[in-house]
Amino acid sequence: MSDITVFKAKKIITMDPNRPAATHVAVKDGKILAVGGADCAAQWGAFETDSSLADSVLMPGFVEGHAHMMAGAMWQYAYSGYHDRTDPDGKLWKGMTTIDEVVASLKSYAATLAPGEPLVGWGFDPIFLPTERLNRRHLDEIAADRPVVVMFSSFHVMCVNSAALEMAGYDEDTEAEGILTDGNGTPTGELQEMAAMFPVMHRVGFDFKKLSQEEDSIRSYGRTANRAGVTTITDLFATITPESLETLLSVTAEQDFPLRIVPTIGAMGAPADQIAAQARELAASSTDKLRLGGVKLMTDGSIQGWTARVKWPGYVGGQPNGIWNTAPEQIYELCEIMQREHIKMNIHTNGDEASEVVIDAIDAAMRKHPWRGARHVLQHAQMMGADQFARAAGLGICVNLFANHLWYFGDQHAALTIGEDRAMRMDACRSAKDAGVHFTIHSDAPVTPLGPLFTAWCAVNRTTMSGRTLGKAQCLTVMEGLHAITLGAAYTMGMDDEIGSIEAGKQADFAVLGSDPTAVDPAALKDVPVLGTVLGGRVNLL
Amino acid sequence: MKDDRLPLTVIGGYLGAGKTTLINKLLTDPRGQRLMVLVNDFGAVNIDAALLESADEDTLTLTNGCVCCTMGADLFMAIADVLARNPRPDHLIIEASGVGDPAKIATAAKAEKDMRYGGIVTVVDATNFARLSDDPMIGDQIKAQTACADLLLISKTGSIPPALRAQLSTLTGADQLLAGDVQTVADLLITPWGWPGTQLFSKPHPDYVNWSGTGSDDFSRAALREKISMRPPGLFRLKGFVRGDDGRGFLVQAVGSTVAISRIDQPDSTSLVGIGLKDRVNTEECGTWWQAG
Ligand SMILES: [Zn+2]
Repeated sequence: MSDITVFKAKKIITMDPNRPAATHVAVKDGKILAVGGADCAAQWGAFETDSSLADSVLMPGFVEGHAHMMAGAMWQYAYSGYHDRTDPDGKLWKGMTTIDEVVASLKSYAATLAPGEPLVGWGFDPIFLPTERLNRRHLDEIAADRPVVVMFSSFHVMCVNSAALEMAGYDEDTEAEGILTDGNGTPTGELQEMAAMFPVMHRVGFDFKKLSQEEDSIRSYGRTANRAGVTTITDLFATITPESLETLLSVTAEQDFPLRIVPTIGAMGAPADQIAAQARELAASSTDKLRLGGVKLMTDGSIQGWTARVKWPGYVGGQPNGIWNTAPEQIYELCEIMQREHIKMNIHTNGDEASEVVIDAIDAAMRKHPWRGARHVLQHAQMMGADQFARAAGLGICVNLFANHLWYFGDQHAALTIGEDRAMRMDACRSAKDAGVHFTIHSDAPVTPLGPLFTAWCAVNRTTMSGRTLGKAQCLTVMEGLHAITLGAAYTMGMDDEIGSIEAGKQADFAVLGSDPTAVDPAALKDVPVLGTVLGGRVNLL
Repeated sequence: MKDDRLPLTVIGGYLGAGKTTLINKLLTDPRGQRLMVLVNDFGAVNIDAALLESADEDTLTLTNGCVCCTMGADLFMAIADVLARNPRPDHLIIEASGVGDPAKIATAAKAEKDMRYGGIVTVVDATNFARLSDDPMIGDQIKAQTACADLLLISKTGSIPPALRAQLSTLTGADQLLAGDVQTVADLLITPWGWPGTQLFSKPHPDYVNWSGTGSDDFSRAALREKISMRPPGLFRLKGFVRGDDGRGFLVQAVGSTVAISRIDQPDSTSLVGIGLKDRVNTEECGTWWQAG
């Protein structure tokens, strides 16, 4: 038996300018040996042809530069969102467009649980159901004999039923910010922010951190990625303990685990030197399918929560400027130390003032500690203008733009947060590209669903939920969109030497598609079917 | 009668203001309490080696029963872990981050039925507060940290400059103490002082006013809240039990400007105790307030 396999495909979109299209790819030892026609491997010796993908279109495995392990883990709970969503096992969960539908759906979910077991729902978004506010009465209809907890998609608010309120001891005598009450002081069930939510959360055993470290969560992250054509993904702001590292190492090492994971630890809650030391120590444990050593910094909050730090003229509703989760002077210190220690940073910046501070901080760090190949990445970078992209390009800073926001929240941004002018140039892919910035685009799953073809569709069409095109001048071409979710992403992650395109020497990581994304109407890019992935030459069809 | 809830005291203040210095001193003299402290960096809490029983990657255990722990990125889950500890510590102290809003953390103690609000102490650096509070980037957050405090500790100065004192007074009515005065912080917030009927301090303390009051009126919740809200502002802490007009009683805990009233079984009689700084309050004032119709 030969150790060379040649996969035959209907078409291969390589993202390699030297050979943009092909029909065959030869794989040896999990890597790409040759690309071309049926005989592409002939000069390397005997080979076997695998025709299982002959009717499919292959692309480089998609690369998601901003997602969280929770994207898989959340499916342990009941989906309660407005939009249709597919779970890691391929089951379609219909979006719920009225509160009655949410109640009906969760009621049938409750019937599948053991008596008394808490029912936890997630993904509810009040922004899309404006007629009535979800309250305990709705959730009491679902179940009176078990706690019912519905986490909102922002993860900053939840609504709970009477049984859950009772469990936490919340009644008309409880007085704390975030526990919403009616006119008589009775809690409505809506709880805002962690301080008010955690008494319920720890009693129903709903713990994000532990959730993200469980074996099942890692596996379901793998299946979620597989369905989206993703072969390499980040887990930004991971908490890694010695035990969770063991779990990560053992699950990702399984032959049929279909994903390379790049976790980056949160640079918060510890001094910079200590974080750098932990990152460095973790890096030494990296394997082929688990890439450790990066860090994630937080700076400001979110635009839709009015907590992003924005430059003049601020928010259209006159809300005060947002908040820093890390003080600017700490951002400077972290940037300097990570740069000095050669630790790659992913830095959350939503507002343009936050982006500016980070660019300044990296600029200062680079003067002190030159490291040209750092490829630090500004994550979200939603309000960066051409001026900031020009500076980023000059400093070799990469960006990861939140293209999915254009569709999900674009209308809200124009009307309620930063106003028309700046909403039109949000997530400005064209400006980034024109400035020569290496960039990618992301879903921030589970905040929005993982699906790079959808994300590319957002960047290509810039269509909002109301159907308008938000800033035509910033639209990408389909090829540029596809580049952003493959080689572009690989570059920002410093992995373009081994993934992101189908060319000799790289990992045999492919997205297996049902049709040619370059041949469909750009408006239908999101509808191109994903049939599965190939990771290191191993086929994982759905 | 006692209160089994875990008190939470939050230490706020900008980077370098002196939060860890304060924590170090509290840990060194914990007033017989098993303190549990959550900090960002225990490397910065310079515990006297003689006090150290053991240290591992993220926990310091002291010979006096106190524990100092790094909280990591997930503060609220860390609080849940503290509640699950057996035995539970006597008092939880959390160091807010340099830009953190101490009030947001302290809210956890108001919401969580197994916890009790134990005050916010904000440390203010006398040398840079004026500049920081005016900073276009972080000024608002600096001012918010100060405004929510029950006690202000002014660091890096031998006496509080009048201009600073005036500026701080516009932000909060909280008492302003010198940072060296850790005794007062411990006396007011950490030391377990007596419930009604027991001695407040083991011996009379020259710096404080102790007040106690009893009564026979049965209160509605609204009337009690109204009454407590009128207390003399210098009465820094007030606690005790009050008879209710519906057959159940009230447990009152007031710290600084925060009042928490919860329900308990009906006590035989109403009884409250309070303490405050001598230069801020006197017993006559307290008596007049309590007796007033
Ligand atoms: Zn994220």
